[in-house]
Amino acid sequence: MGAVIELNELTDAAQKAFPADKLSPSRDESWQLAAEMGWLMVRLPEEDGGLGFTREASTALHLEMGRVLAAMPLIPAQLGLQAVIASEDFAERADWLERLAGGEYAPLPMLSAKLTQGSDGSISGTISGVFEADMAVAVVAQLPGGYALVPLDAPGVSLVERPIWDPSRRLFDVVLESYTPTLMLTDASGAKALHDRLSGEAQLALAADCIGAAGAALDMTIEYMKVRRQFDRPIALFQALKHRAADMKTRIVVAEALLWKRVRDESASVTELAAAKVLAAEAFRFVTEEMVQLHGGIGLTDEHPCHLFLKRALLNLQLCGNADLWNERVGREALA
Amino acid sequence: MTDTADLEALRREVRSFLAAEAPTGWRDASRTQDDFVRTQRDWFGKLVRAGYAIPHWPAEYPGGGRSLAEQKVIYEELAGADCPRLLLSFVSTYHAFATLHECGNAEQKARYLPKILEGETWCQGFSEPGAGSDLAAIKTRAELKGDVYVINGQKVWSTMAQFADKCLLLARTSSDGVKQAGITYLLMDMKAPGVTVRPIHQIQGDEEFAEIFLDNVEIPVSERVGEEGKGWAVAQATLASERGLTLMELSYRMRGALGRVAKLIREHGHEEDRGVLRDFGTLVTQVDAVCAIADQFLDNRINGIERMGDASIVKNAYSRALRAYSALGLRLGGMDEQYVAPITFGDLNTGNWMADFMNSYAWTIAGGSEEVQRNIIAERMLDMPREPKGWVL
Ligand SMILES: Cc1cc2nc3c(=O)[nH]c(=O)nc-3n(C[C@H](O)[C@H](O)[C@H](O)COP(=O)(O)OP(=O)(O)OC[C@H]3O[C@@H](n4cnc5c(N)ncnc54)[C@H](O)[C@@H]3O)c2cc1C
Repeated sequence: MGAVIELNELTDAAQKAFPADKLSPSRDESWQLAAEMGWLMVRLPEEDGGLGFTREASTALHLEMGRVLAAMPLIPAQLGLQAVIASEDFAERADWLERLAGGEYAPLPMLSAKLTQGSDGSISGTISGVFEADMAVAVVAQLPGGYALVPLDAPGVSLVERPIWDPSRRLFDVVLESYTPTLMLTDASGAKALHDRLSGEAQLALAADCIGAAGAALDMTIEYMKVRRQFDRPIALFQALKHRAADMKTRIVVAEALLWKRVRDESASVTELAAAKVLAAEAFRFVTEEMVQLHGGIGLTDEHPCHLFLKRALLNLQLCGNADLWNERVGREALA
Repeated sequence: MTDTADLEALRREVRSFLAAEAPTGWRDASRTQDDFVRTQRDWFGKLVRAGYAIPHWPAEYPGGGRSLAEQKVIYEELAGADCPRLLLSFVSTYHAFATLHECGNAEQKARYLPKILEGETWCQGFSEPGAGSDLAAIKTRAELKGDVYVINGQKVWSTMAQFADKCLLLARTSSDGVKQAGITYLLMDMKAPGVTVRPIHQIQGDEEFAEIFLDNVEIPVSERVGEEGKGWAVAQATLASERGLTLMELSYRMRGALGRVAKLIREHGHEEDRGVLRDFGTLVTQVDAVCAIADQFLDNRINGIERMGDASIVKNAYSRALRAYSALGLRLGGMDEQYVAPITFGDLNTGNWMADFMNSYAWTIAGGSEEVQRNIIAERMLDMPREPKGWVL
């Protein structure tokens, strides 16, 4: 019961701080607010000075942030923090945990990296999929020798913004040129375990973002169908459109049921968690494609928010492995 | 609510019963209609004696008085052990029971409910040629003459009517006012003079339902449930009798049957075909999600927080997954599936992919079609403008 109340309180607080009618609120103000509300430490264990909440709590938060198409990078931040939490042998662990809980940003990239190691041990290449890197102090990266914190002001580290269609977020590459890591979180042998732990968490967080955003997209679409009149009646009266709305709702509710089931299943594999993300992201894509169509011409205008939802959905589908990759893996494992 | 330790004890008890008693090879023993009926009667009898056939009935009946949480455990185990589903007795233990329990008088309950446990079977005579989704449009007439109603008309799609002893019948006693108002609910003896049953041959090769022709059939007034002209409300009790267990059970059975698709993939050497693996993976996740929503639906009912339209979502999600499951099997099976193979009566996941595929349509059509469910979701959950009323109030 305690856990349920905590979850409801968190959701209520999120809905108050981030009202549904204000989409993509300012990134920097949101970040400030999130830090003040303690959201950067929801998953930080109590013994490390955090709130020690379960992954249900972070899922609930990401769902609410999806609903408003949050511009702040709560997901990469949470994952970066988890990398440090998990790195028990990291000498500066306590120091970094305090900095991250206090509002400094060290994201986990949401795409894979292409890196090579020189004979001197230094590393060159590109780490892709770093959200809002302009506000980051470091990035958590899987390097050939293990996971490391790569400070963005270190020699041999530079940032390149990669403009994306989704206007609600900004994405960067971190480019390394003969960079020598100093802040190792794991060695090469510890990387696999950390990778699995972070991937699973990333999948749940993205799934939650998709479900929240898809729900908001559906709400807006239904509202519009009730007020938009053609042929002397609201278009919501056309059964062909009602049925499409019903299918949108069904896709969301079903994907959300799988998400919560997997969130609560501590033994779920990375593939099973990714399956929940794929289902959620596909539901989100479906809902936003319908959203544009059901809005008619206005759905194609830049000033109307339809496209924000569509573009976020299409980007989410690509993050942390796309549907083809994971569906294949689910199939392969179910065959084994 | 029943506590977890009790539920786990029940689970162990059911499991050990099933380990000893669960029928094996029942698919092969259900290739003809007679064999199917025999298998069904045997299994129902065993479950009645073991106390697992009617967990949703009140405690005064042996095996009754179980909470919804306990019922869920029993059904999970029945699905897990791949037992035959209780099809022949389904209308009796759910529809007839709920109707009599909620709307029948003391005498009707005492007369009929114990007999159900002895194996008396019921069918549901609601649909007519002109009244499908629009159930209230029924035309079968019931005229009161002395102390009997005289019935004339025709029923259709009545599941297993050819084996039934009794029928839950909707008939029209008046044509005045709104069409729901003139409907009366009657309990009909299938052996009464004037009742003719003609099984309907279905596209998958069996005869699961039948037409019922009613020619001056006499039903005593004492067999009326509720008042004359108030049958529509009684019919709602009939239709609301099933509380999500069937879909939960079927979802888990479909999950178990994914192994049949895996077998097909191996037999056809598709283990490294990435397109096939993707399609299979997509199906696996779809079926997992159906299990999750069916579970969530039941849990919400157990906790009293069901929302309007939830049942429609579960039904549409299940029926679409069943179609996807059988369609993938059919596609992977290729030409092999076009040669006629033996069917299994009363099973949805048999591995005869043509039969399974065609059978999957039962779930998008019966019990409120997919389109009718969409209307319900749009209207009850999304608060969109209403259609004319149909099967579900
Ligand atoms: C396997 C099976 C078992 C059955 N068992 C029984 C039984 O035991 N007893 C019994 O009484 N009946 C039984 N039925 C009948 C079942 O309830 C009806 O088939 C069902 O209500 C649909 O009616 P119909 O077949 O006349 O189709 P129709 O109602 O004619 O529908 C035809 C098409 O029109 C669509 N449609 C209809 N109304 C609307 C609407 N308002 N909006 C949008 N689309 C609409 C439907 O979705 C469908 O696609 C059974 C049916 C099946 C398939």
